[in-house]
Parts: sequence; C-alpha cells; structure tokens
Amino acid sequence: MTHLDRRSVLKYSAAAAAMAGVPGLVRAQSGPLKIGLITPLSGPQEFIGSYVRNGAEIAVEQINKAGGILGRQVALEIRDDKANPAAALAAARELLGAGINLHTGGISSAVVLALGPVMQQENGVFMTCGAGTEKMNHENYSPNLFRPGDAPDARTRAQARLMAEKYPEVTRWTGLVPDHEYGRTTWSIFVDALLEYYPAIAKKKPVILEPVLMPYGVADYRNGITQALRQQADGVFNCTYGGDAITMFQQARGFGLMQRYKVVCDAANEFLIARGMKQQLPPHWTGMHYYAEANKGNPMSDRFVADYLAKTKDAEPLGWAAEAHASLYAFKQAIEKGKSSETQAVIANLKGLTWDTATGPRTMRAEDNQAIKDVELVYIEPAATDKGYKVSQYTKVDGKSVIFPPSPGKKLSLKTA
Amino acid sequence: MQAADIVTLLVNSLTWAMATFLVAAGLTLVFGTLHILNFSHGGFFMIGAYAAYSIADALGGSGSMAVYLFGSLAAGVLVALLGLVVDRLVLRRLAGVEDAYVLIATYALLLVCEGSTKLLWGLNYHSVMPPAVLDGAWIAGNAVLPKLSLFIVAAGVVVFVGLEYFLNRTGPGRLVKAIAADPWMARLLGVNVRLVYTATVAIGFALAGLAGGLLVSNQTLSPTLASAFVIQAFGVIIIGGMGSISGAFLGAILLGLIDAFGQWVLPGLPGLPFFVAMTLILLLRPQGLMGKAKH
Repeated sequence: MTHLDRRSVLKYSAAAAAMAGVPGLVRAQSGPLKIGLITPLSGPQEFIGSYVRNGAEIAVEQINKAGGILGRQVALEIRDDKANPAAALAAARELLGAGINLHTGGISSAVVLALGPVMQQENGVFMTCGAGTEKMNHENYSPNLFRPGDAPDARTRAQARLMAEKYPEVTRWTGLVPDHEYGRTTWSIFVDALLEYYPAIAKKKPVILEPVLMPYGVADYRNGITQALRQQADGVFNCTYGGDAITMFQQARGFGLMQRYKVVCDAANEFLIARGMKQQLPPHWTGMHYYAEANKGNPMSDRFVADYLAKTKDAEPLGWAAEAHASLYAFKQAIEKGKSSETQAVIANLKGLTWDTATGPRTMRAEDNQAIKDVELVYIEPAATDKGYKVSQYTKVDGKSVIFPPSPGKKLSLKTA
Repeated sequence: MQAADIVTLLVNSLTWAMATFLVAAGLTLVFGTLHILNFSHGGFFMIGAYAAYSIADALGGSGSMAVYLFGSLAAGVLVALLGLVVDRLVLRRLAGVEDAYVLIATYALLLVCEGSTKLLWGLNYHSVMPPAVLDGAWIAGNAVLPKLSLFIVAAGVVVFVGLEYFLNRTGPGRLVKAIAADPWMARLLGVNVRLVYTATVAIGFALAGLAGGLLVSNQTLSPTLASAFVIQAFGVIIIGGMGSISGAFLGAILLGLIDAFGQWVLPGLPGLPFFVAMTLILLLRPQGLMGKAKH
C-alpha cells in the first residue's frame, strides 16, 4: 500500500491544479485575440466616436479575412468612454482585469492623459485615434501610450507654414479658441509657427492679436463673434470643433464675420463644417487625418473606402475612422514582428515601427511614441453639387519637415509660452 | 466702448435672453402649475427642432418665412401631442412623489428623447439656414445687427406677451393660476383639476416644440441639442423665481446683459460673470426675482 504523506498530497494537488489550468491557457493562446476599443459611443463626442468604431471594425474584418494575427482571429471588446476620463478609466480597468492588454480608441485629450498612468500601472497599451493633446508626448509621456496619427504640432505647424507660403500679405492674425487645454495649446503652437515661418518665408513679421476665447459646449457664440469683429484681423485660425464649430460658423454668418477675413484656417474639423453648412459654408482651409480622394490608388485606402461604403453607405470616411484603422494594423504588425501580444513585446515592437496605412507608410517614433506621417490639408469651398461643397485645393506636407523633435517627459517649449 | 458696441452687445444679450426664455417658458409653466421640474424639457425642445427641420425639408427648405413659421407651429402641435402621451404615462404618476424620483423619471424620459432622435434622424450634424428675409444683418452705423437675432428677440417678446395675456386676462389662464395656487380649493369648487393639468402640460410641451422650431436656425442640430440650453434655462428659472413666467423673462434679460457685458470686461473668462451673477442673486434673494419668500 502506498503511503500518502501530507507533503505528497500537497505536491500532487498543486500539479493537478496546474493541469486544470492548462486547457484554459491553451484556449487563451488559440482563442480570439481581444483588443479593447474604448471610445465615445454616447454624449457630445458620439458622432466622432462612431467613425472610430466603424474604422476599427473594418480593420478587424479585413485582418480576420486575411487570416488574423499569428493565426488568431481578432475580436474587439467595445466600451463607451463618453469622452469622460472617469468612464474611460472604469472601462480600461475592467478590460485590463479581464486580461485584455491592448486597447485603442480615445479621442478626448482628457481621457488619453488619464489612461496613460493606468496603462503603465496595469501593464496595458493604449493607442489614441485622434486626441489632440501634445502633452502625451511631452510632460505626460507614458511609454504605454501611442499616437499612430497626426502629431498635433505637426499639423498646426504645417498649417501656419502654408499660410506664410500662400498668404504672405495676411499678417494680422487672430484665433477663435475654445476655452480649454486643447484650444489654448493648439493656438499657442500655431502662433509659435507663424512667428517662425512668416519672417522666414514671407519676409514679414506677423501681428498676433489676442485670441477670442469661446465658451465650450454652449448654444450662443455671438459675444465672441462680436469681439472678433472688433479686432479687424486679416486671417483667423479656428480651434472650435464639432457641433460648437458649426454653431459658431452659423451664427457668424449673420454678422458676416468670416467674409471679412482674407483667409480662414480651421484646425481640425475635416468635413464636419462643410457637411453641416453645405453651400452656406465660408471657404476655409482645414486639416485632415485622411482625405480619401487624395489617397486613391493606394490599395489599402481603396479597400478601406470600399469597405466603409459597404458598411455605412458613407463614401467619404472621415479621418478618425482611418486613424482607428491604422491603429489596428499597427498592432497587427507589432505583434507579428515580436511573435507576441504581451505588452512589453508589443511596446518594444511598436517603437520605430514602419507600417502601411490608408495614407501611406508611417513610422512610430521610438523616443516619444508619436507617429510621423504626412500632413493633409484641404481648401473647401461651397459648390452647387449634391454635397454642397468641394475641395478646390489639396496640399500634402512632409511630416518630418514640420514635427517638433521628440522631448518625452519635458514640457513643450514655444516662443509664445 | 463706443455706441455701436453698446448697441451690438444689447442685441446680443437680448438674443441670448429671448432664446433662453423661449426654451424656459414651457418648463416654468409646467413647474408653476404641477410643481414638476421636467428634466426632459430640453429633449422635447430638441424634438421640436428636428420636427421643424424635417417639415421644412419636406416643403422644399426653410428659405421662405411662411415655411419657417409653419414648421415651428407644426412642431409645437406635434410636441404638444407627445406631451399628452407623456402626461398620461409618466407625469400623472409623479404627483405627490418625492423630488428625487421626479428627477430620475424625467431624466429617463430625456434619455428616451435622445435615443429616439438618434434612431429617427441619425448622428450627423445639420445646419438649418434661416429664411432669406432673416439672412444677413442690418447695419446701424458701426453696429452689425443680424436679422435672425432681431427675429429671436421679437419671438421671445411675442411668446411672453401671449403667455402673460393668457394667464392674466383669460378665463382658462386664470383657472390655471388658481389651480397652481390652491388645487384643493379648486377641486372643491368643482373645477376639473386633472383636465386643467393635462391642458397645462400640453401647452408647456407645445412651447418647447415651438421654441425648437423658432430656434432651429440658431444653432447646430444634433442629438446633443437637448443639453445646449439646459444650464441657462434652469438658471433663468431659478433666478426668476420658480414657476414665475415674468420672473423667467426678467431673469433671462438680466443674465443675458451680465453675460454679454461681462465678456466685454473679462474676455479671458467667458461664462464666469453668468455663474457669479447667479450666485450673488441667490444669496441676496434666494426665492428669485419674482418668487415669494418662504416664511
């Protein structure tokens, strides 16, 4: 008879417990690769969040159709962050607790800045699909946060340079700036760039007027519009966005404000204002994460547009969809390169990664987790077409020529700071 | 500050005031009579705006003043009918219920409004142009006075005068005021209080729908429109005195003036004068401008 002592029982019990976990482990390795999508699906940012969701889902469908990642199908775990840091943190912790370490989405600057420390603590990775804060690559840098899309400073500086090149005579500049961090920072970067490029290119010193601070999320911008009227500026840089921007532009029509400027430069509304106002919109330059028409002939872009149309009946996906699409492909390539979806391996392989996207190849800068991509700028005018508007000018600016050098962990240093 | 600046700021402040009053009028009426603070009021204002947009679109666009006004009135009627349904299903059950439950129930109604709007009209932003006759501005010296702003001011004044006339100079209106003051006595005197409550709700909702239609060109149309005016609408109601139409009217004008001139004086702090003014007024007169002090 075999004698079973306590030590043997403990040894065999531990072995049995480990064996019981093996099927789960095998299932985890061979089951779907879950990636969290944390983005606003309700509230004021829902409209843009819907583009992020569509772009991410299309990327997942395409990737799965091509065999998945390392032989595993990809599944999105979608959570609504309501563009609210508290909701985003709750969603992130829930997903991280369930073992999902890779996440994308996040278009609100406040959300992304809140998620950085949590991702570091809980060993996760987060890719923003359009948050405009430069702080995530500077004083709030986290090695676990990545931006696969436009650097906010690159786009804004490209816009200022374009103004100096095309409108050298426009030297009195003002801003329509929402009273929050993104608005004030974007304006500061634009001014910094005007002060650099106008003397260098136009051989003139720009006059920077006090920007008009606009309240955020209200229904009346008339007081701010009146303030702007008094300034007699030649050029205006608009940082208000989304529904606020459309309301502001709409009310400004009554005052004839935009018609008084020689040039209107809009930071980041893509086709939002054009689609809202149609033939009533004032002609303006704006920055695009992605302009489908200009990327025709790029097979990835053509496939993305076709799949987007089939899914949503929208033939013109806005840039946030393309950024979500790019983020999933970045994950794919990083995982395949390192043959691992573990956090530290993905981080190591995202840094310095060059990968294909709907706008062409991009490179993730290793020092500060910021992608270097070309900046796309369009000039939109009203038109007697079904859409009510047309793009009459397009410019692609080499991202490397306008992006600030990396300085992770340090505050952004501007001439106007 | 030049004369043109003063005139422009006055018109801006009155525009803000009357837009806010148009939204708040129905809310105040319902609260003053039924003592229910309807948190979903903004949602029905939004539905009214979307309804007016769809009606104008079906009739070839909002270019004609007749279409614009017809759309606004039709929106008012539609939302009044919705109000009857809401009264039957929700508001009647809130009589005598704790305030917290009233807020929860009406907040749930607001979510229903937002969800329905998304289902019916989608997430896209829409910008509705004013009729041709309201496009552009009158120039008075150096003052630029948008015609749409002047229309909104006029609309707010007309609604206020109409409501005051109804409540103070007509039999049904005086009945509403009597029931608001003492429903028990009114019942004893043989008044069908329930019917008057229902009619008041219908009028309150009609005002929300009408406001949505009249203001449809004032701001972007989106499923978040319900919250666009809610802070200032509640602000003018509280400042004016809960349940007082004339208080809401005066409160709106006062806050509009403070907001406009405040932004002139403190351009770096938009919105601050509004909240400071609200705080000071409530400290000095907690019952509001036209409210009755509690003893």
